[in-house]
Amino acid sequence: MHPLIHLALSLPSWQDEQPFLVTGLALGGVYALSGVGMIVLFRTTGVLNLSFGAVGAFGALIAWQLINKSGMNQWLAYLICVLFGGVITLAYGMVFGPALARRDALVKTTATLGLTLILLGVMDLLWTSNGGMSRSISLPTDNHGFILGQIQVTTTDVIALAVGVVITVVTTLFLRYSKLGTAMRAMANDREITATLGVPVRRVEAAAWFGCGIVAGLSGILLADLVALDATTLTFLVISSLAAALIARLSSIWVTFLAAIIIGVVDAAITPITSLTNYRDMTPFVLAAVALLFLNRRRTLSLARQEF
Amino acid sequence: MPRMRIGFASLAAAALLALAGCGSSSSSSSSAAGGGATSSAAGGGTSTSGGGSASASISSCGPKAGVKATGSPINIGTIDTHQPGTDFTDGPNMINAYFQCVNANGGVDGHPLKLFVQLDQTQPAQVAAAAKKLIQSDHVVAIDGVFDLLECTIDQGYWKQLGIFEMDAGIAPECWSTPNSAAVNMGPRYSSDGAVQYALNTVKAKKIVFVQSNVPGTGYIAAGPAALAKAANVPIKEMTENVPINDANSVALNLVNSAGPDGSVILNFTPPEALVILQAAQKLGLEDRVKSWGCSTPCNTDFLAKALGPKWNHKLFVNAELASVDDHSGPEWDQYKGILSKYGSNVAGGIGSFSQMGFVLGKFLVQALQNVHGGYTMKSVNNAIVGIKNYKTQMLCTPWTYGHLALHIPNNTDYTTTPENGKMVTAQGCTAISSADPQIAQYHQAAKAAGVE
Repeated sequence: MHPLIHLALSLPSWQDEQPFLVTGLALGGVYALSGVGMIVLFRTTGVLNLSFGAVGAFGALIAWQLINKSGMNQWLAYLICVLFGGVITLAYGMVFGPALARRDALVKTTATLGLTLILLGVMDLLWTSNGGMSRSISLPTDNHGFILGQIQVTTTDVIALAVGVVITVVTTLFLRYSKLGTAMRAMANDREITATLGVPVRRVEAAAWFGCGIVAGLSGILLADLVALDATTLTFLVISSLAAALIARLSSIWVTFLAAIIIGVVDAAITPITSLTNYRDMTPFVLAAVALLFLNRRRTLSLARQEF
Repeated sequence: MPRMRIGFASLAAAALLALAGCGSSSSSSSSAAGGGATSSAAGGGTSTSGGGSASASISSCGPKAGVKATGSPINIGTIDTHQPGTDFTDGPNMINAYFQCVNANGGVDGHPLKLFVQLDQTQPAQVAAAAKKLIQSDHVVAIDGVFDLLECTIDQGYWKQLGIFEMDAGIAPECWSTPNSAAVNMGPRYSSDGAVQYALNTVKAKKIVFVQSNVPGTGYIAAGPAALAKAANVPIKEMTENVPINDANSVALNLVNSAGPDGSVILNFTPPEALVILQAAQKLGLEDRVKSWGCSTPCNTDFLAKALGPKWNHKLFVNAELASVDDHSGPEWDQYKGILSKYGSNVAGGIGSFSQMGFVLGKFLVQALQNVHGGYTMKSVNNAIVGIKNYKTQMLCTPWTYGHLALHIPNNTDYTTTPENGKMVTAQGCTAISSADPQIAQYHQAAKAAGVE
């Protein structure tokens, strides 16, 4: 049978597809959350923070440890997770940011892989997976929800999507109307000129690093609940968010948000299609590649500041 | 600026992908034979088993209670997978705990046992090198307690050439289909058989959906459940999922839709991946949309039962290669728990399948060594190992036999467990895996012909 005929025959009905679209929306919402956090930092400091996922994973595992081993109130544990994300990212930014400030953007970003590897190694050491050990975080909001498209939609799903929207809106307004946001936008264009105009660049960068870390911590908790509490999984889940950021050409927050939602929905929608289901992990890459090719069809290939 | 961003971002994405494929390191370690009976062993009173009878149970691991073995060590080797996401070191750690107990209580005819552990990260060359190092540098006389993804596949020829009969708890098909390997576990194929068999015979499912990780070798594993379903005239849908699973909600939904209300979904995953799917099913309210859920033996952990909660009581049925600790008691169980408590501080998972398999592998080896007459050479020790016949343990349903056979599936009768308020309890006692699986039929035929069954 011709592959296209086979594909057509294996397509599920619209009724069967509906629940998958619902699950895809929730996942896309969290991808959006991560993508927006990465974009804000990039626009301010020129650093694409590839440790975003690892920071969130580390925070989520700390929360799990505090809840399950120390008996801490879970909301307090989640708050600590979010704060951990902010503090560790801020610490990295403050220690390595100034030293790398004049370096090429590619060098700055590659340096964040160092933080990723360190965090991954420590997580593997502290939260080993031997002996069939499996961990999970279940937010109290998982117990409430409503039926939509034949499936239960939990409040966590709604929160994931809502937080993605809220972060996108708040960040847009913040960058456009606040003094700090204006400074961030100025720094994105030229750090040196911004500094000569009297803007406290270190403090602005610190705010961006801290904000990015807070969003990483928040994403970590939500993804630990929605996807899995596993260091490797959460660390590399950032790839989907990165793809959304690439589609937005690392500049538009709203395009990042929409791209992330589309990635989540397409990924989920392909699941019941037998002939495609095992290829759905390619979704972020395929969409990013298509978008980059389309958007750059009349542009010059460039590497950092050097044109070819 | 925009051009710079795009070009740079593309390279950054490529760098991240490259990082995802980075390898890791290998390592090895050995546990001192005499040293095994030093500080922690001598500490006494640390056992949580408590009481004199528990102490007696522990010390019965060796022939002379409280007498430290001081002779020349008998070197034993093992190769185990240890990488992010797949860490089987609880197995060798438990064997080492058993050896420490033996060494503290007379050893094997006064000889302490020394375990040399080679760890690998699923790299064939590394696994092959590990085998050679154990033989040529560490001078081990036997291979016991291999918990590895690849080892049986890679090293079978080498063991055959040397006349070594390894005992393992394997994953690769060659652990059960070759002359020089015998496992205490069933492995993914036969354990999946057991889970499917329960769904067919006890739950009376009208359709089976069998899903497993999308990794090499899935066809071999799926052939068993497919044969059982065919024999029962029940349709089966075989599926694979890429791991780690990033969209468990969609996966759970797809499985339930594929099985239908009269069908059963059977999972063959590691505990974290199985947990992700089952929790997603629960969040979406799908746990009752199929007749039953099943799982191969990795799901048989209290971690999973606790994480799932009471909603899954008697809804999930897990094939269990070993008897449940929670449902059994007696001297052997006291000994297992006592050794784990006293010597197994580095067995991270504690009580569970991995430490149980380690205990059984340690125990069977020591029993075999006690039958060696003369020196403990590679030849004499491996003759004793291959001569193992009807060794009994309460952890396995039937006595365990090695024997000179073309293939070995000595663990072919098993339990079914189910979650009950955070613990795994027995749902069905010992049940033989059906000979509808042609491999099982072939083993029984060979064992009968050789007179070991």
